[in-house]
This record gives sequence, C-alpha cells and structure tokens, in this order.
Amino acid sequence: MSLRRSGAIALRILQQFRHDRRTLVLVFVAPILILGLFYYLIRGGSSVPAVDVVNLDRGTVGAAMVSHLQTSTGVAVTVTDEGQAQSDLSSDRVAAYIVLPANLTASAAAGGSLTPAVHLEGTQPGLTQPVLDALNQAEADLLRGPSGTSGSRLPSVTPSITFLHGGPGLDTLDYFGGAFVGLVVFFLVFVVTIIAFLRERSQGTLERLMASPLRRSDVVAGYMAGFMAVAALQAVEIALFTLYALHVHNQGNVGLIVLMTLLLALVAVNLGILLSMFATTEFQAVQFIPLAIVPQVLLSGIVFPVSSEPAWLQRISELLPLTYGVDGLRQVMLVGAGFSGTVLLDLGVVLAFAVALIGGAATTLRRSVA
Amino acid sequence: MSEAASTPFGAAPAVSVVGLHRSFGTVHALDGATLSIGRGEIYGLLGPNGAGKTTLIRSLIGLVTPERGTVTVLGQRMPDRAVLAQVGYMPQSPALYGDLTVEENLRFFAAVHDLFGEPARRGVGEALELVALTERCRSVVATLSGGMRQRVSLACAVVHRPRLLLLDEPTVGVDPQLRVELWQSFQRMAGEGTTLIVSSHVMDEAERCGRLGLLRFGRVLAEGTAQELRRRAGVERLEDAFLALSEDPA
Repeated sequence: MSLRRSGAIALRILQQFRHDRRTLVLVFVAPILILGLFYYLIRGGSSVPAVDVVNLDRGTVGAAMVSHLQTSTGVAVTVTDEGQAQSDLSSDRVAAYIVLPANLTASAAAGGSLTPAVHLEGTQPGLTQPVLDALNQAEADLLRGPSGTSGSRLPSVTPSITFLHGGPGLDTLDYFGGAFVGLVVFFLVFVVTIIAFLRERSQGTLERLMASPLRRSDVVAGYMAGFMAVAALQAVEIALFTLYALHVHNQGNVGLIVLMTLLLALVAVNLGILLSMFATTEFQAVQFIPLAIVPQVLLSGIVFPVSSEPAWLQRISELLPLTYGVDGLRQVMLVGAGFSGTVLLDLGVVLAFAVALIGGAATTLRRSVA
Repeated sequence: MSEAASTPFGAAPAVSVVGLHRSFGTVHALDGATLSIGRGEIYGLLGPNGAGKTTLIRSLIGLVTPERGTVTVLGQRMPDRAVLAQVGYMPQSPALYGDLTVEENLRFFAAVHDLFGEPARRGVGEALELVALTERCRSVVATLSGGMRQRVSLACAVVHRPRLLLLDEPTVGVDPQLRVELWQSFQRMAGEGTTLIVSSHVMDEAERCGRLGLLRFGRVLAEGTAQELRRRAGVERLEDAFLALSEDPA
C-alpha cells in the first residue's frame, strides 16, 4: 500500500465534496434538521394531552383529586360537565375525560374502593399513557397527602378504563398499521418515480419526448397512469396483507383504505416528478429522502401525534399531505369512519395536494429539459 | 450573408432561420444566425466544438427558446408542436430506453409521433432495415454495443418517416462500412423529398452534404457546396477552407 497514492484518493474525495454543495448540505444539515425535529417533537411540546375532568363528588376527596390533577404537569386539565366532556372526546378536542363518581368521599371514608372512570379516545397510543400516569400520580398524592382521608384504613383505587375507539385489545401494530399502509406506498412510489424520471432526463429520452408532438401534460398524465397502475396493485396487496395476514385491527371499509392509499400514491408520483427537477443524478434523488421525506414522516403524526407538537410545528404539519393521509387512514381503521366528515375532508385535502403537484410537475417539465 | 438567405430550389424552404440570438449566461451560443434550407436538401452544419451547432438544432425543434429572431420549420413559425410530428431528431448521445428491446423503443417513439397500428409496424420494419438491425430487434438495448445503439437511435429518429430529419453527429462510433451504407440511405431519403440537417465536425461527412454552412461565433460565416468553399478559400482541402473561412470577421 502506498500512502501517497491513498492520500491522492482521499484528497480527491475531499475535492469532490467541495464541489458537491448538495452532499455537504446532506451531511451537515440533514442530521441537525432531523435531530432538531426529534427534540421539538419529544421535548418541545409545551402541549400535553388535554383532559376534561368531571367531578360528581361533592366531598373533600373529589375536590382534592381535581386539584391534584390540575397541578399535574403531564396533562392539561379542564373541569367541566359530563355532556361537554363527551362531546370534547368525540370531536377529538381532548385525549380523555375522567369522571370522579358521586360516592368518592363516602367510599374513601369507608375505606372502600375508589373507582374514577377514565374515558380514553384511544386512537393515539402516545396520548393514552400520560393520562393514566397523571391519574396514578394524583391518586398517589391523594393517598399520601394531608388532605386525604383521615381514616386509618387506606382506600384502594381501581380506575375503570373505557376506550371510545380501539381499546386495550389493540397493540402497537394496530395503532401504526393504518398509517404505515399509507407511508409505505407513499415512500416507495415517490422513490420509484423520481428515479425513473431522472433516468428519463439523464439518458436524454426526455429531450426526445420534448422534440415530439407530446405535450407536457401528456407526459405527466402518462407517468401518472403508468405508476398509478402499479401503485393500485400495490395498495390492494398491502391492504389485504395488513388486514388478512397480519390481522391488523380495522373497523372501516377496505375500499376507503385503498382509495386513501391511492391518493397518497398520486401525490407521491407528482412529488417525484417535481423534485426530479432539482436533481441531476440518481444519487441526488436519493438525497431527497433524508431532506424531504424523513421530516415529513416525523411531522405527519405517524409516531408523534400532531396535537402534541409545539404550535409552530403543527402549522408545518398542516402543510404536509401525508398528515391528512395518515389521519384519514386512522379514522377509517381505528374509528370506523365512513365516507363522510373527517375522512371526506382528509381525502379532499390529499386530492387537492395531488392536483396542485400535477400542475407544478407539468409546469416545471419544460425547464427540466433545457 | 445574402447567399445565406437564398433558397436553392425556389420553393418555400424546409427550414428558415432569421437573426437568431440565444445566450447562456455570458456565452453567446447564437448571435444572429441566419440560414435557409430547401426541401430535399442535405445540409451540413459545420463548426468547432461550442460553435452553436447543437443550440441551433435544438432551437429548430423548440427545445431552446431564442431571445431574438425567428425559426420557421416546414412552413410553420416555431414553436409549433403539431409540426414536430413531421420532424425527426437524433440527439448527440443515443437517447434510448436501455431496459427495453430495440423494437419496443421503436414502437414507443412511433407512438409519441402519432403513429399507431399497421403504419407503425411498417415504420418500425423500415427503420430497422435502414440501420441493418432487423436481426437484433428483440435484443435489450443495454446489451448492444455503442455503435449499435447509435444505429438504434437513428432508427428511432426516422421511424415516423419525418419530412425533416435533424441529425446531431449521426455517425460517430459507426464503422466505415455502415457509415457508407447510412449515407446511401440519407441520399435516398433526400431523393424522396426528406430534408436532412447533419451537424458534424468530420470533414469526410461534410463532403457528402449537398450544401454546407460554416457555423462559428453563433453565426453562419460561410455557406455553399464543399467545392465552392474550397474555391473561395483558395485551398485544396475542405479542412483548410474551413479554417480559412472561420476567422472572426468582427
């Protein structure tokens, strides 16, 4: 081995880095971006799960529980009545509501069992645990604290837990399954399209197409038709495999799952065509994954619920098509929502993104040839 | 320059370019290029690297938008997408789908030029014969040699039987025997009324063109048959005429 020859190679690699600003950005900016996002998603969320508390107890124990819950840092508590709490839960304004039963003080005095009722929304596993933790903490404070029961016998606490959607029978895969169906199709279709389109450009065939009577819209429409045909098969395959081989929980219509997945694929095809504009090699196309796809996955609510993000990050999440796709798929699979309301809105927003990207892809096509 | 604007056959020219300007940054790729090419002509576009040959050819099909000047192709002011159905374009490097077979490539380019069904099948057969690749029609393009790919690329440019054929250095990497055969085909196509514009810096090819245009500094500096150019420069070889006539007049 020759040190000088190896040195020449090392020097050449550094020179190539110097000329390739894009790779430098990837190497030095992408990690900061991704880790920074993780920071804000995990620690930056000033917003903790919102919880309604309904206190039916008129005694001291109920009041003490409420004040312990209110001082909890894990949840943001609002005291309200049961009707309001129910409507908050079903409209997703709170992650849970807790009902303190009327006999709380009496049971405590008798040393019996305390049974606060916890009603969880249930579709977002990340929000369930903080609520239960806060309740446990409040109970612990209550039993230990001076305002607790004066009797010598300590009452036992056994909260009764109900889920509006899903439930204790759902495991992690049930929660993530729906989102992953959309994500897998979105990601793969994007990668395949951007590579295919870049090849079209780098091998010069796009120039040939532009020298033919084809319109730009013909090219974009053709690409869409070709890739959507494959994406449709893929969406059906993934949906069937997820539901019938993996037995992921689904309360909704399989057709809706496939439809939402297809719309995400439509977005991905056009995003691929559009972003291929900004890359000249397949290597550069792959670089879009950490810069354009990973942040989108983190912010789409797949792992970290959008509602628990800091407010400014929520604004960004609202601008990402994947956010709506994930929400729609969860609504269908976990809540059993039909072709209406939130799901219709989600479908509409994803479709709007697709249409905007189709326009963008068609207009950028011309410049991409020159 | 008056000679450059004349049309040899009197009829409406196949291609007419007037005062074309186009710059990329500070480089003036085209700086007032003017030329006129009659139907059925084989016009050789000569010039050193960077003279603007490719930019000129690309502006004929609307791939380059000129800043000033006009381009008229087959009677249509460009850009005009419809007229492109009658234009064949062979780029410098063979632009093909490497993962498709020869025949699939040809079929595809026939279709994008609005040629389907039986006419497409016939076009593909003729194009394959032209480049002597009928036997290899089921081969995947990526498995072919460079010269063969060049021939497939040419076949893709003629599959729809264009009335105007633009060839950007068409016989680079093609062996001498096939080069002779290709030029015979070019002559035959010209005889049938097809107009050919061939860019090249190979003098041997220039000799075969009916008329030559000497492109340099983004302008047509001299025009005429090979013999005329030699006589005008007072030299024996076309190469020397080329050097003598392409000095910057400015």
